[in-house]
Amino acid sequence: MIEVKGLTKKFGRKKVLKGISFTANKGEITCIIGINGVGKTTILNAIMNLTPVNSGEVLIDGEKISKTSYEKITFIPDTMTMLPGFRIEQAMQFMQDFYQTWNQKRADELLGFFKLEKTDKISALSKGNTAKVNLLLGLALDVDYLLMDEPFSGIDIFSREQITAVFTSHLIENRGVIITTHEINDIEHLIDKVVLIDEGIVLREFNAEQVREEEGKSVVDVMREVFQP
Amino acid sequence: MKNYLKLVNFEFNRCAKLYFVLIGLTAVSQLIAVFVESRRYLSQVNVALYQDKIPKAQFLSETGEMSMFWIVNNAWFSLPIIICITAMLFYSFFIWYIEWMGKNSFIYRLLMLPTARMNIFWSKLTTIALMIFGLIAAQLALLLIEGQLLEWLVTNEFRVDLSIQQLSESSYYLAILIPKSFIAFIMHYGAGFGMLLIVFTVILLERSFRFKGMLLGLVFGTVAFLLFFLPTIASEVVGFKGLYPEELLIAELVLGLMVIGLSSWTSHYLLNKKVTV
Repeated sequence: MIEVKGLTKKFGRKKVLKGISFTANKGEITCIIGINGVGKTTILNAIMNLTPVNSGEVLIDGEKISKTSYEKITFIPDTMTMLPGFRIEQAMQFMQDFYQTWNQKRADELLGFFKLEKTDKISALSKGNTAKVNLLLGLALDVDYLLMDEPFSGIDIFSREQITAVFTSHLIENRGVIITTHEINDIEHLIDKVVLIDEGIVLREFNAEQVREEEGKSVVDVMREVFQP
Repeated sequence: MKNYLKLVNFEFNRCAKLYFVLIGLTAVSQLIAVFVESRRYLSQVNVALYQDKIPKAQFLSETGEMSMFWIVNNAWFSLPIIICITAMLFYSFFIWYIEWMGKNSFIYRLLMLPTARMNIFWSKLTTIALMIFGLIAAQLALLLIEGQLLEWLVTNEFRVDLSIQQLSESSYYLAILIPKSFIAFIMHYGAGFGMLLIVFTVILLERSFRFKGMLLGLVFGTVAFLLFFLPTIASEVVGFKGLYPEELLIAELVLGLMVIGLSSWTSHYLLNKKVTV
């Protein structure tokens, strides 16, 4: 389980996070929803210790993040995390060199699934394909938790479909996933848990299935209630 | 340790192409210096001996023999050295800033590697060190090749051969690059890498706190620099002569180690707690 406890963060005088707390379970897809600039990316960065926070803490299976945690949890940001001059095969080699959890078999599988060429240079890829390579580099790690920042933003419809297909496949199964988005339509049926965020606080944290059954509301219905009261 | 070595290998490969181009350019330019200087000298010889009919002995006593001395002081020889030094200074900054530049933010990957973050730091420092020593080694090899070339171009009777030691004394740049004694080598390069360490810490301060970090970096850099050169400043500027040379050396060493410790501890703290993607 990933436990986020009371994260606060200031950029200069502006308070971006004002005590964010939520949990994300293994085997579930947790979706952080909020409009742009609300601090979703900052939360993911903070979980990965990629940016300092002013207070609060993050526990991954009860432990604070350390160097060994990166074999257990990984982050797929919305920017490319490999050298632009690398070919895809070099990027995979790099991952293999540094991560014990790198699973080349799965990487090859993803390569085929996304119809990517090993010899393609990363800097020459289209936006959709860049996102897919980024996804591949994260998904081919045998980690328990996976964070994804806006995996669908600015990507063509066919790439979107491919990426959504990943979510229902064995590539995600049994892992804990935290995903951020400001548009939910494509993935509403996939997510287990929703965390609604605005102005630096968690407005509501709920189980999508439960709300659907007990209150007869979709995620979008709840969003309407919360964001446009 | 294994990850550190992998990172060094990775960092070096990243700039290897440009690095070898730099060495290639230096070689070409310095060989041009040999040709230019020997032709200039030989044409002097021709004019003097065959047109002006000056006796050889008189010519040699007036003009002197041809030697590497003339070559190492030619612009074709020293310009590439200046370019290499500038390139290395520039790269000392670039090796960090490149990680944050552009759409491809490699810093994400580096910080998420399952290894101590200081390994990134040390691997970058090591890469710069390897590149500098590589350039020096290439320069030493080039001096031998250039000497050999000169032997082919100018005959014995008009030529004096100089040792590398003599050469390093006859050029301003070589004198810096090739210290005369082992102690001088340790002092020069120790001070150099100490400064590089300070620069890296200042860069991390800027990366962690942006504008405020720049000011902090300025303060840190100045304090570290002053501490580092305190004995030198005390004896050269203030005129404090209370220490024997050996004591001065030990004081310099102790302070140097202190600054290195301070700088690495600060960098460790920043990389683990303060740096941001």
